[in-house]
Amino acid sequence: MTLYVLRTLLKMVLTLFAIITLVFFATRMSGSPLDTALGDGLTEEDRTLMIEYFGLDRSLWYQYLAYLRGILEGNFGQSFIERRPVADIVAERIWPTLQLLGSALALTIVVSVPLGVTAALWRDSWIGSAVMGLAFIGYAVPNFVIAAFMVLIFAFSLNWLPVVGNGTPWHFIMPTIAMSGVLIAALTRFTRNAMLDVLGQDFMRTARAKGLPETVVILKHGLRNAGVTVLSVLGLQIAGMAAAGNVVVEAIFSWPGIGELLVSAAIMRDYPVLQFGVISVAFAVVVINALTDIAYVVADPRTSMAKG
Amino acid sequence: MKTLLMTTAATLLAGSAFAQSITVGAANISDYLDPGRDHSNVGSQFYYNSFDTLIDRDHSKLEPEWVPALATEWKLIDDVSMELKLRAGVKFHNGEALTADDVVFSLNRMYQATFAPYVVRSKDRLANFAEAVKIDDYTVQIKVERPEPLWETLVSLQQVMIIPEDYTKALSGDPEVAEDGDFEAFSLAPVGTGPYAISEFIPGQKVVYSRFDGFWGDRAPLEQATVIRIPETASRITALKTGEADIVTNIAPDQLDLVNADPNLKTEGSATALFHVMIMNVNHPHLTDPKIRQAMSLAIDRDLLNDALWLGKAIVPSTHTMAEMGKLHMPELTTFEYNPERARELLAQSSYDGEEIVFDAYPVYYTNGVLAAQAITEMWAEVGIKGRVNVTETWTGASPDLMARSWSNPMYFADPFGSFGVMWAPNGPSEGSGRFNTDAEYAAIWERFRFSEEVEARKAAFVELMERIKQDPPVLPLYRPFESWGMHKGISWAPQLGHIPYVLDFRAGAIALADS
Amino acid sequence: MTATTNIPSRTPLLLTLWKDSNAIQKAAVLIGLALLLMALLAPLIAPFDPITQSLISRLRPPLGFERYKDGFYLGTDELGRDVLSRSLHGLQLTLGLALAGACIGLLIGGTLGLLAGLRRGWAENVIMAAVDLQIAVPFTLLALLILALFGSSLTVMICVLGIAGWEQYARILRAEVRKITQLPFIEAARASGGGQRYIALTHVLPNIVSPLVVQFTLSLSNIVILESTMSFLGLGVQPPTATLGSMVGYGRDYMPTAPWIVIAPAALIILVTFAVQILGDWLRDRADVRLRAR
Repeated sequence: MTLYVLRTLLKMVLTLFAIITLVFFATRMSGSPLDTALGDGLTEEDRTLMIEYFGLDRSLWYQYLAYLRGILEGNFGQSFIERRPVADIVAERIWPTLQLLGSALALTIVVSVPLGVTAALWRDSWIGSAVMGLAFIGYAVPNFVIAAFMVLIFAFSLNWLPVVGNGTPWHFIMPTIAMSGVLIAALTRFTRNAMLDVLGQDFMRTARAKGLPETVVILKHGLRNAGVTVLSVLGLQIAGMAAAGNVVVEAIFSWPGIGELLVSAAIMRDYPVLQFGVISVAFAVVVINALTDIAYVVADPRTSMAKG
Repeated sequence: MKTLLMTTAATLLAGSAFAQSITVGAANISDYLDPGRDHSNVGSQFYYNSFDTLIDRDHSKLEPEWVPALATEWKLIDDVSMELKLRAGVKFHNGEALTADDVVFSLNRMYQATFAPYVVRSKDRLANFAEAVKIDDYTVQIKVERPEPLWETLVSLQQVMIIPEDYTKALSGDPEVAEDGDFEAFSLAPVGTGPYAISEFIPGQKVVYSRFDGFWGDRAPLEQATVIRIPETASRITALKTGEADIVTNIAPDQLDLVNADPNLKTEGSATALFHVMIMNVNHPHLTDPKIRQAMSLAIDRDLLNDALWLGKAIVPSTHTMAEMGKLHMPELTTFEYNPERARELLAQSSYDGEEIVFDAYPVYYTNGVLAAQAITEMWAEVGIKGRVNVTETWTGASPDLMARSWSNPMYFADPFGSFGVMWAPNGPSEGSGRFNTDAEYAAIWERFRFSEEVEARKAAFVELMERIKQDPPVLPLYRPFESWGMHKGISWAPQLGHIPYVLDFRAGAIALADS
Repeated sequence: MTATTNIPSRTPLLLTLWKDSNAIQKAAVLIGLALLLMALLAPLIAPFDPITQSLISRLRPPLGFERYKDGFYLGTDELGRDVLSRSLHGLQLTLGLALAGACIGLLIGGTLGLLAGLRRGWAENVIMAAVDLQIAVPFTLLALLILALFGSSLTVMICVLGIAGWEQYARILRAEVRKITQLPFIEAARASGGGQRYIALTHVLPNIVSPLVVQFTLSLSNIVILESTMSFLGLGVQPPTATLGSMVGYGRDYMPTAPWIVIAPAALIILVTFAVQILGDWLRDRADVRLRAR
């Protein structure tokens, strides 16, 4: 077990290192901050001056090694544009994103698990079909379409809900729903399939044979076992999908989150912000993956050390 | 659903407690706030509320009417020096008193710039300014290299707004020395002498102005003004409707009816003192023949663009001139026009061989920019020019591959030197980027235009410059865009004639809220 | 071959498939075929050129509304272009991009997965490390960054869509290949002197077709959504060319006043992903022996 955890950790570090390196070189291959609006109207002479100012006149390898050294010292550099530490900027932005992710995941679980179980238990009746039909529709509607139409109806026409930022709990309603649509569809299907798998297993029959009430059998034995599968899916796919849907939802609702920050940093070639932002997101995903991996092993010893 | 949910309730509560507070939804917010290094259209929104220049002007008037600001009187003591008496009792937002040292420090950080972003900014417009010298605690002299026809204009620039010396120097490193780090830190925690202190600044996200009670002039009408960033047009308008914003910026003409249709809302707008322009690279191998560029320009029906995209509210100029330029406003010149027949003729005579001409455009930076780009390539097709739009965030204006692109020529100050002059000077941003050439003759004309003391001589030189531009065009001003702000009916605010583009002026007399 | 019972069965004849399907699945097939036909015939059935503008008739509503302009059944957009024609061409481009992307993904991921499964050793380690890397950064985010960095053009777009989801193919293939190569008949083939490539082509490939087809279909709808999302954010193909997503993106500012610009392309996106999803799920159910056994 310890060995497994160590291996997982080592893999994490290597993955992060590879990402840092890739992001560093990819951003620099794609042009300099002076190729964006920052360079608008500068003469050749001005450009040279600004390139020195940004420290981009050094060789690429020097910059790369300096960057790695900075990371080891806990210094991730300064934004080219805001001229303040990127850690401050990313810290400001990551919390609103996590809040939104959290509320979207909560809504997803609350809605999907009962729906998925329902669909599994009544898989042959119209109820099951209806639930799955809904899930397909949810999957088919891109979140920007949901978001745009919600804004039109509930904010623009009815003035019921606010649309800018994350000021109050009311601000969470539309972004959370917009982000959850696809997630609910996906998790409902996973839950249903996991439940179907479990329902056919021997221990369920044993539980029933012991004369336990059906609700107890399903909730205690069925759901708990299906939960292991659902958990692993939640960690990997769902978290990834949520992080992705984030950018669009943040843009539409002027949410001061990390997605919007990264896209604008990429556009402006603000390398330090972009690098640290991607590393932070990758770190979060890698940690979640590692945790779910470990949780999976802990929860279900049958998967044991044989994997990977 | 009751009471529009909590936001509105909160707004109402806040409204009664601070009746004089507003929230502004802006399309963009600066990533730094330093009037010296900034000359962007985004930045110009923010400085006038918090900073003062030595000399100001009456911004309600189109014609420049100079008024005392931090300097109470000024006079020329010889051809190349101006002496200014400073106002006594002026305080910075941090409590420091303003003295000649602060003024000299602020001016020389630009006139004798060492910090790269200042160097870049001061060259194009302040090159003639040698230094500022302290005479006594309340007297300074400004020295120029050559006799300066635009004294007041260039002393009232945003770039030479006054900042505190001791505060700035102490921000990083040695408190006795002005280092780059000081100026970088200043741009995140700006301090000035204006009627509003910047009480909170989150770069790119939020600017909060709070009334500064120690202000030397008329008391600020608002207790607080919060500017938040709402990048999407649709969201800005929605935020206005839901009451999350009291004023929103950058409403496209297509959206005006939508705002005006709401009985609680209205719009205010003006044809901003800025040209959206098309620039053409005179050095691109396919475009070296001036006839091709003349044809590209003559093919564009700017009035149709105005009618279709700006509902006829923009201003289409016949030459590179604006009403703001007073005596140097010369609408009688016809440098640019629409003439498709002539375009076809010129094209036939030219070396044009059906090459594809790429028109680069920023995706969202200019209102209607991508739409105009698409319409322009269609108009080119009418006369036989094969065009293609390339929407990109990349600034291609300095690339040798550039063929044509959208850009803007703002009026940085009310003089032809402040718009045409800055952009198209010998060795200026256009020539320095390799897409415009000047020769000794052009430079000589430009010198007469810049430094002649007689207005008539400057006008005559400008006519010659425009003729040069017409014969070998590197630029076509499309129009002065009609920019609009949406707001609640209880707010009296409108863009003022005497400002540079986009200034959010909340000083006394510029904004009033209806008593509710 | 005795082992076939443990291996997902091959796709049966289309007719049997059709008979086995329920009403929703039949509808999905019909919708899918109709969309495909519309996309293929777009240049023939579109009433107008999709990029020809008419600045004097901008923002005209669809048939049946006031100010309708004759012939422009679904109205005109912000530059006076025909919304119907743009939607049809947009559908063509969206589907084309998605197919191209999915094929590239299949090719890259398939090859690497096959290699990892057959070769083992360091090749497998490197490939699986790359898979882990890909998983560590949420793909939509990665795609956005690539487009923002390298500019939006058709080529960059296809590359981005192509690398979307390759890791799924690689994972699936590696697992399947490992499973299959342990089966007795492969051992037999190997013992009788079959080379690596021979074994891969004749024995392994035929047995992994159905999981690949399933994954291909499922990823197709993901790619459609991915492309729409990029285009919605203005990072897709260059205007005046339109995909369904970019039509929604550029039309969004006009939603309260001219919703018709957005409704047609949005509806088409939903129909495409809906049909493809149902088909994919159905194929998966059919291909998955364990599920079918119940």
